[in-house]
Amino acid sequence: MLNIIVTLPFLSSLLIALIYLGNTNAKRFVLYTSLGIGSLVIITTLSLMSLYDMMQGAATIHTKLFEWIHLGDFQIEVAFMADRLSIIMISFITFIGTLIHIYAAGYMKDDAGYGKFFSYFNLFMGSMLLLVLADNPIMMFVGWELVGLSSYLLIGFYHQDAANIKAANKAFMLNRVGDFGFIMGLSILFISLEGHGFSFDAIKANIALIDYQTLTLIGLLLFVGAMGKSAQIPLYVWLPDAMAGPTPVSALIHAATMVTAGVYMVARFSFLYIQIPDIGLFIASIGAFSALFAAIIASYQSDIKKILAYSTMSQLGYMFIAVGLESYSSGIFHVFTHAFFKALLFMGAGAVIIAMHHEQNIFKMGALRGELKLTYITMFIATLAISGIPPFAGFFSKDAILVTAFASGHYAIWTIGTLTAGLTAFYMFRMLFSVFHARKSKAQRVLHPLPKCMTYPLIILAIGSTFAGFVGVNGAYGGENFIAHFLQLPDISVHLSHSSEYMLALLNVSLALFGMTLAYKLYGHRAKEAQPDTLFKKVIINKFYIDALYETLFMKPLLSLSRFIATTVDMKIFDGFLNYSILFYRVLAGQFIRLQNGKVRAYALYFLLGVSAMSLFLIYKLGVNL
Amino acid sequence: MNYHILSSIIFLPLLMAILLGVMRAPLKVLKAGAILSSLTTLLLVVRVIIDFNPKGGMQFMQNLPWIQNAGITYSVGLDALSLVLLTLIALLMPLLYLYMLKEHRKGYWYNMLLLQTGVTGAVLSLDLILFYLFWETMLLPIFVMIGKYGNGLRQYNSMKIVLMTILGSMSMLFSILYMGYIYFETTGAWSFSLYDLATIDLSTKSSIWLTAGFLLAFAIKIPLVGFHTWMAPAYGSAPTPAVVIMSAIMAKLGVYGIWRFGYGLFGGTLHYYTPTIITLALIGLLYYAIRAITEKNLRKMFAYSSGSHLSLIALGIFLSNIYAWGGSLYFIATHALASAGMFMMIGITYNRFRSVNIEQLGGIAQKAPIFTFFFAFFALCIAGLPGTGGFVAELLIIIGAFKSSFLVGILSATTMLSAMLYIFWMLQRTLFGASHNETKIADLTLKEIAMLTPLVVLLLLTGIMPSLFIPYLEPQLLGGF
Amino acid sequence: MSADPFFLLVAILFSIGLIGVASRKNLFVVYMSIELMLSSVNLLLAILSQVLGDANASVIALLLIAVIAAEAALFLAIITHLYRENRTLDSDRFKNLSKVR
Repeated sequence: MLNIIVTLPFLSSLLIALIYLGNTNAKRFVLYTSLGIGSLVIITTLSLMSLYDMMQGAATIHTKLFEWIHLGDFQIEVAFMADRLSIIMISFITFIGTLIHIYAAGYMKDDAGYGKFFSYFNLFMGSMLLLVLADNPIMMFVGWELVGLSSYLLIGFYHQDAANIKAANKAFMLNRVGDFGFIMGLSILFISLEGHGFSFDAIKANIALIDYQTLTLIGLLLFVGAMGKSAQIPLYVWLPDAMAGPTPVSALIHAATMVTAGVYMVARFSFLYIQIPDIGLFIASIGAFSALFAAIIASYQSDIKKILAYSTMSQLGYMFIAVGLESYSSGIFHVFTHAFFKALLFMGAGAVIIAMHHEQNIFKMGALRGELKLTYITMFIATLAISGIPPFAGFFSKDAILVTAFASGHYAIWTIGTLTAGLTAFYMFRMLFSVFHARKSKAQRVLHPLPKCMTYPLIILAIGSTFAGFVGVNGAYGGENFIAHFLQLPDISVHLSHSSEYMLALLNVSLALFGMTLAYKLYGHRAKEAQPDTLFKKVIINKFYIDALYETLFMKPLLSLSRFIATTVDMKIFDGFLNYSILFYRVLAGQFIRLQNGKVRAYALYFLLGVSAMSLFLIYKLGVNL
Repeated sequence: MNYHILSSIIFLPLLMAILLGVMRAPLKVLKAGAILSSLTTLLLVVRVIIDFNPKGGMQFMQNLPWIQNAGITYSVGLDALSLVLLTLIALLMPLLYLYMLKEHRKGYWYNMLLLQTGVTGAVLSLDLILFYLFWETMLLPIFVMIGKYGNGLRQYNSMKIVLMTILGSMSMLFSILYMGYIYFETTGAWSFSLYDLATIDLSTKSSIWLTAGFLLAFAIKIPLVGFHTWMAPAYGSAPTPAVVIMSAIMAKLGVYGIWRFGYGLFGGTLHYYTPTIITLALIGLLYYAIRAITEKNLRKMFAYSSGSHLSLIALGIFLSNIYAWGGSLYFIATHALASAGMFMMIGITYNRFRSVNIEQLGGIAQKAPIFTFFFAFFALCIAGLPGTGGFVAELLIIIGAFKSSFLVGILSATTMLSAMLYIFWMLQRTLFGASHNETKIADLTLKEIAMLTPLVVLLLLTGIMPSLFIPYLEPQLLGGF
Repeated sequence: MSADPFFLLVAILFSIGLIGVASRKNLFVVYMSIELMLSSVNLLLAILSQVLGDANASVIALLLIAVIAAEAALFLAIITHLYRENRTLDSDRFKNLSKVR
């Protein structure tokens, strides 16, 4: 079953690619759609069936497709494992993935590269499922890299515009920097456990063989990979630019699934990370800092997709707070709920963008709530969910994270998290009010009609955003935290009285409501774009100049080094050495030429010298007796 | 003379060339003859692969006396290491002939035939004098092809590659002759057979010098950093089939030489050079990659790319553990496939646009999707994306590097970053963006697709199921060299 | 009587001839120097014939005198010809073999 789940999207991707390359101009809307979405419907069904089985108590599923490589002790199989963690992941990935595919069928309908798009999209699904279901870290890494590749391809989907390709390159390169760390972590892990097998089960069983320092290093390096993939400081700069891709791509890859791979990875290696709480704390701090940082930038952005991108980064920060503080199941819980409301937000944003004829600036929209009623309502629900207003999904998951932070005594992280929660509500509602409430601009506008397949998925996701939180209601609210019990991850156990939990929740909700009210005051009637008039604003609007900093720190020196090598090292030193040695012979030859001057008498002189030398040699060296 | 399969594989192209030359064959016959010989050798190689016994060590041996009073024998044989290269040669030749099907200069075809004999012979010979002979033979057609059929500063560049390579060859020849002499002194008989020479005891000092003689030849051929200034000009000037052979086969022969003769003759002394070579290889890995970033000529860019990856291969050999060895050997094969594909694509680019300058390209993706697919595929293969063979090889080398030392591990893992530095920027400027000219560009023809598809399929196969290929190599790797 | 003074004479004559070839430019003088060297060797032959009591060397010396005479004719002819061609007898001007012009 798992074999089918992973291979089917790859096969359909290959099939679509071949058909597409066969004739790139042909319009085969139905064929591509049925192939692309059909395969996803099948695997969604299969995943949900496995989920159901597992909820009934079925054991972890292991399947093997074939042996990948066997060289010495390096024995890796293309094998899949569905334990409770991965089954939760694939269930919502396939489910939301299918919805986004359906949505994309509407969004991309008129695009010339429709077949190509679905080929890439299915490739992404296959890679993501490979990542999640992999039985060993190497296969996970293969999936890890392949999602990066499909992300690259999809960000650069509109390749006519060089800026998009640039964004795609940026995404891939920063991901690769992360992967650089990741593969080092994997290699050290493998070397430390050489001969004990390399499946997750085997690593878990033998983790005690590795000493603490090595383990710390491995944990840190693996997290570098997560920083790249999940857009955390300092490798986050690609995510906002990645919004250059089509909106379904942003919804699927850069919101709901791929970017959460880092969180998943940490949860997958939870048996490793519980051994090294220091690294855990580091992860949580990076998460907290990223969450706040992204939220601040998001508050001053005006591109709807970039706001959502920064909010994704911010929410990912929360997830890393959770997994860093060893509350793995609340991290995964937030991944789960976040997938619903963030996908919904992106798809809503996509609908708005399409309706506004590809306008992305929120301050050029306004008062759309009458015309796009359905989009408005669903996005409102999603915004409530992300802001952590009960009873929507985000409240429970975010609350679980902040409670953990508070209860485990990391008050600084908790403070940042709580502040960010308020800020989140502010910038999300700022976006919502600017788009749907604020007075519209004077220009007459005719909205582009939205196909049904773009709106119905919104409704389903809105339902999900409303109710998804109930799977993780904890004791304080009368639930039994179903998801945490189901996942069976090695969570830290925190004890906090119900009353303090209520206090924390009250604080969060009131901060969120405050942010919401503030946003309504500022943007509810008349939305105005932030101007870089003060230094403070200028710095934030320019995203703290991080891009420029990276440019000067890394790209420019590399380019100048490259030029330096080309013009100086290669030409002057290496080639110079050769040319100088040639010059040496040339000069020597010039001297010899002088001897050969054609003057007979000079020759006679050489003759004389030669004979004399020979005679002297004969007499004094060899002792010839005359 | 008895029929012997390896000798047939070596000499078939040469005999074909002589036959055609004596006949003064017209162009059509010449083409047919060359293609026939390449297909026949491919079939023979398939036969060899089927009969090959991975655990059998050196096999298919043939020993014939040749110049008896000097102890020079004609001796050839095959093991897993040479099998990899032999297969690559046999596979690439028909594809290259397909590539140059429209080529009307006869000398071109003769040179290719001679080249095939040269490289095949070098891969298979077990006598050092014989090896040296083939080693020089393969340089000759390259010299002619660059000097006569190349472009740019072709004559200067062909002189440069030949002079620098000969510098190495001479030092190697000196080492070979000196070893033969020592063998004569100790046993009273002349011999240049690899196995005979491996038995002699050398003093440490002379062994170090003799190793240096061999290593210089191989370092120039690979080329390691510092010995590389012939590379970019030669690649830039050479016609595509010659570039493909240089990058896919001849550069690998340098590595092969270290493996076969370095380990075969000086297993003990090689450790003396290990730190030096590892340092050079690690520098090369990054040096070439950084150099490639601002290179504007695609051929030269991938020349540097080739140098960067070959440094990694050389690194793998000197790390002396099974993962790095396996990775290197695997990389020899997969990089040959990828770079062959890449250089063919660059050749096709040149045919289409009359330019391989990145600044004059751009926007190809809009006009020629199949072209774009193949171009990007090979470029990504070189960047070592999973699902292609290069990934497996790089992974193995990185693991091997970490096994040997932490620092080397980190530095060799930069291969994940190094290729990416130039590949993606190059793709951006070459394939994507707005197109510079409005002329219509023909997409790949069926012939071109047919020529590239085997490479794509093999690259995917090596990436997705390495277990199909590794068993051929593993016994020898476990046995050491 | 010791033959040494005669040997010394031969050596001096030969050296004068050699230095003459090397240092003088005029072809006639060069020619004369060459002749001087040849004659000194001829003298050596004659002396050795006397010292060793072997008549063969005396015969060769006599023959050589004839050769020298023939040579003189040839040389003078060549020199005359060269003078007619180039209007000079400076040996340094005749250097077609040289790369230095």
